[in-house]
Amino acid sequence: MTFSTLMTVLLYGVTIGATYTLIASGLSIVFGVMGVLNFAHGSFVMLGAYTGFTIVRLTGNFWLAFAIAPLIIALLGGIVEKLMVSRLYGKDIPSTLFLTFGLSMVFSNAVLLLWGGSSYSIQLPSYFRGFINLFGIYYPKFRLFVLIFSCVLVGVMWLFLSRSRWGLPIRAGLFDLETVEAFGINIYRVFSILFIVCSAIAAVAGVIIGAMRSINPMMDLDLINVALIVIVIGGLGSFKGALIGSLILGLAEAFGAQAAPGFAKFTTWLIMAGVLLLRPKGLFSEH
Amino acid sequence: MADSDVGGRTVSNRRLIEAAILLVLVLLPLGSGRLFSDFYIALTLRILIFGILMLGFDLLAGYCGLVSFGHAMFFGTGAYVAALSWRYLSDSVWVGMLLGLGLNAVIGYVLGLLVVRTRTVYFIFLTFAFSQFFFVTANSWRLIGGTDGLTGIPAPTLVPGISLGDRIPFYYFSLGMLTIAYWVARRIVNSHFGRVLRGIHQNEERVKFLGYNSPLLIRRVFLISGLFGSVSGTLMACFQPFVPPSYYHLSLSGEFVMMGLLGGMGTLVGPLMGTAIVIFLGDFLSTWLKEAWMLCLGGLYVVCVLFSPEGLTEIISKLSATRLLSKLFGRGDRHTSGN
Repeated sequence: MTFSTLMTVLLYGVTIGATYTLIASGLSIVFGVMGVLNFAHGSFVMLGAYTGFTIVRLTGNFWLAFAIAPLIIALLGGIVEKLMVSRLYGKDIPSTLFLTFGLSMVFSNAVLLLWGGSSYSIQLPSYFRGFINLFGIYYPKFRLFVLIFSCVLVGVMWLFLSRSRWGLPIRAGLFDLETVEAFGINIYRVFSILFIVCSAIAAVAGVIIGAMRSINPMMDLDLINVALIVIVIGGLGSFKGALIGSLILGLAEAFGAQAAPGFAKFTTWLIMAGVLLLRPKGLFSEH
Repeated sequence: MADSDVGGRTVSNRRLIEAAILLVLVLLPLGSGRLFSDFYIALTLRILIFGILMLGFDLLAGYCGLVSFGHAMFFGTGAYVAALSWRYLSDSVWVGMLLGLGLNAVIGYVLGLLVVRTRTVYFIFLTFAFSQFFFVTANSWRLIGGTDGLTGIPAPTLVPGISLGDRIPFYYFSLGMLTIAYWVARRIVNSHFGRVLRGIHQNEERVKFLGYNSPLLIRRVFLISGLFGSVSGTLMACFQPFVPPSYYHLSLSGEFVMMGLLGGMGTLVGPLMGTAIVIFLGDFLSTWLKEAWMLCLGGLYVVCVLFSPEGLTEIISKLSATRLLSKLFGRGDRHTSGN
């Protein structure tokens, strides 16, 4: 493997990893703070992708999709949280998983009814098509944008969690919800906002994936699968864990596809099994 | 917890209903073609086949309280091993079934050593992760068909001369297997082992203080539960002459959880009812609502989790439409979360 192939594969891996971070971190934080294992998180990604696809097809404007799809999915997330998820606060975690599993069934079949079973791809603006020469490496322009954009968004999320006034109750909530409540913070409002924001970020990831790869009614399962593996590797409820886990998974996928095509999924599984055996609760578990 | 299972009228009532249901199932093929189409036999067969797995699932999830989100791994392995043995080794159904049970026993033993270290969510994750491994393997291993799976599996024979490719012998074979599975599961539930399992569900610490080796018991029930799934998978390979890698898929494992929850876990009868509901309702809805049926089923499932976490057996026993039913599904051998 020459140096330039190595760098190309590395870039591909980091780009995919950054996108996975957007998905997995939401799942992980919602779990850590709210005790809700949201299986429908992958459905939010998928619905974001389909909404974005429709907006682009109707208006022809990619940026409009980028802005509006997350808003629509945030609204949906808010409704789901208010009507259903909020009823299960304080109950056992498996029942939240069962609820959201049912929801994901509803969503994936709604997608099948509304958009049919065929595979689509979100149309990119012309300046995002083609390749760019990065110090001798030819890399797709859009992927470069995805890499930069995802890194910025992940950075903003990290700053929000670690530095902002709103991030404090969330971080504290990971450890001790009752104390947070005792300080006069309405944790249920924090829950709602958190759920809505995480749904919106999932939708952003959906638009990105829909433009980078393809959208189909099975993608929700694929993505929740990835997110669960990331969380198993990184540890539940940890933002850092989701970040590192996603990067590991993205790189493993890219290098696995390069070294042994067809066995890329094995590499991710091997890593997961290894982590589970050595550290059953993940690399950075907060629980 | 008072165990009214030992003696008393509850048991005799339950026996009566069990016998009645068995009688209906035995007589069912007689009406096929006359009272209803052969299609309903096929539908009932699916219930019988998945019912076996669900009994095992209930032992683990309902009685011991450990929900597996990867039970499809036992089902898929049972199907693949049996199909391969019928193609390459022998056309006897018993060879395939025993080989499937053997491999699943090994899998259940080895994985049991690992999953026993975790509880609740992590148990769900681990079972999910391992079943994912099987799915990936089946999907990429050319020797067993890769993404296409195994197709054109020869129909096995029960004894030389009786092919299970024929509907009627296969129906009675499956019914016999389910009856045996139910009997075994009921024996386990009523045994000392079964009572300790319920204890682990309610409070594992106390069970440990009483001197029980709870990890060993969990490993044991995990393995047993897998064996039920294996038989179910073997029968499915016989019912449909193809084994796709989707037999290992997460969505199938999820469907098992759904069947259990819809019926009400920890009752043995509940998951069987849940299986029947999911399969019959699925068929009914798919003819009436065309493509929207899965959506409705998912919706029903959501409503069930939100408003009746104990499943339909709980609703029935609450309504107490008939005293007989409420006695069957009532306190008998359920262990609700009340402690």
